Amino acid sequence: MAENTDKMVIDGVELVGIWKEFMPSRILYEDVTTEFLDEVKKLPGGSTIARCYQCGTCTGGCTLPEFVDKFNPRGFINLVRRGHYDILVSDYKDLVWKCVSCNRCTHRCPKGVNTQEVVRAIAKFLEDRKVFGKLTNDEAFDEIFMDEVLTDGRIDEVKIVKDFYSKTGRLKDMMSGDQLSLGFKMFTSGRIKLFGGKIKDWKKVSQRLKEELQ
Amino acid sequence: MKTVLVIGGGVTGLKASHELAQMGYNVSLVEKEDFLGGQVAKHKYYKLAPDMRLVSEVLDPVIKNVESNSNIKVLKHSTITALSGNAPEFKVKIKNSKGEAEETFGAIVVATGFEHFDPTVKQEYGYSRFKDVVTNAEVEELLNPNGPTKGELKRPSDGKIPKKVAIFQCVGSRDKQVGNPYCCRVGCVVSTKQAIEIKEKYPDTEVFVYYMDMRMFGRGWEELYGKAMEEYEVIFTRGRGAEVTLKNEQLSLRAEETIMDRPIQHSVDMIILAAGQAPGDGTIEAAKILGIKQNEYGYLAPKDDFLSPNESSKAGIFIAGADKGPLDVENCIVEGAAVAAKVASSLK
Repeated sequence: MAENTDKMVIDGVELVGIWKEFMPSRILYEDVTTEFLDEVKKLPGGSTIARCYQCGTCTGGCTLPEFVDKFNPRGFINLVRRGHYDILVSDYKDLVWKCVSCNRCTHRCPKGVNTQEVVRAIAKFLEDRKVFGKLTNDEAFDEIFMDEVLTDGRIDEVKIVKDFYSKTGRLKDMMSGDQLSLGFKMFTSGRIKLFGGKIKDWKKVSQRLKEELQ
Repeated sequence: MKTVLVIGGGVTGLKASHELAQMGYNVSLVEKEDFLGGQVAKHKYYKLAPDMRLVSEVLDPVIKNVESNSNIKVLKHSTITALSGNAPEFKVKIKNSKGEAEETFGAIVVATGFEHFDPTVKQEYGYSRFKDVVTNAEVEELLNPNGPTKGELKRPSDGKIPKKVAIFQCVGSRDKQVGNPYCCRVGCVVSTKQAIEIKEKYPDTEVFVYYMDMRMFGRGWEELYGKAMEEYEVIFTRGRGAEVTLKNEQLSLRAEETIMDRPIQHSVDMIILAAGQAPGDGTIEAAKILGIKQNEYGYLAPKDDFLSPNESSKAGIFIAGADKGPLDVENCIVEGAAVAAKVASSLK
């Protein structure tokens, strides 16, 4: 315990000779913790987070801010590292997922942080803590895409689009004129096929993949 | 006249004396304390950044070189009191416990060094009010196996090993409030080094460094900074420590995390103030007695910072080391050798 040599308490407020103590505190955040940093570090891809020295090269060159305001890899790293979990959840939980994995940040990082992987790890960290309520469009798409890969080994575009709209409860939207004509154009130009082919003995691979993912 | 007076028995003075003696000069080394090694020995520095080399590996040979050289007369517990005459024949009065004597020298080397900034002035940090707010020099002593705690980082209030340690950078440097607007040049690397030492010894203890910029310009310093972050998980927070108070009987610091625009309050067990360097009393006194120019902060001013960095404003009087401005041990030794060369070339 630290000793206070001129301790004085008035109306429950302890004064240590500093006038600021009389005024209401502007402090928003208390008791810095490294618990989140340790957690992210252990996730796949998260190990390089400790190298960051907050220069901002990643965010400066990021593809996304042009389209997604406030997307800030440097900021995510700092929030985790300094334990500002509340801000991460309230302001950034829907943003962390938007990374398009262009890897510009990773290639440019002067400190050897694998930024793209770290951002993914942070997203995973949030997912593990179940901060997302309803699935966002991005997450729903991610899930369907993964399912498709696991079951068929190939991407069947029509099926994906159908599943995506049904999962997000918008089957009606899919049948709109816009979507149908777009679909038709893509079909006639050979961009999509009605049936994705099958891969021989995919079940065995799929089994193995599922085991690995668990 | 081949006699040189070296004032100050720190690393700079020791190195200068040894080099001059090697070249055949008769050196008198005046030291006000009864030991050699200056601040390094006084505060029992333990390891040197960035190689984590033991101080004894560096300091002991330097002292031994001086003590074993017959050309050097070491005068401990002595100070100079008066100067008369001009180059190359200075008459200097040297006082010790036995009395005062006047001697003649061809040249004078001033290597009076620095003193650690006393953070009591920064009352908002609570140094000397809270026992567990300590300076970096005190931590050196604590971490030294030959120190008062035999190398254990026992906090002064109750002797427990702290679980959370915060380090405040730039205490008494880059601060016009206390008249030291300059950078202390060593605080960043010393704090990083101490953070690593603490983490090495107590892996469960968390170390938080509150800084404005990490100025790691020296050999291997930036690498050490990276090592502290990656291997030792020291948490560096940009934002200068603002104040220290007590909260639930625990030290509580306030700062703004400037990267996040967020004021924070952080409870810790021990706070280390990275106190900077200030010109020592010895430097100010020597400048007065010798009549050489000081700069606006009290450090000794070279005749020309670029062209004659080791000459004072007065011919025949040379200056070197941390009395010219903040300096680390490595460069003090360089300065000692440099001033010896300058003296030798001017005393032919």
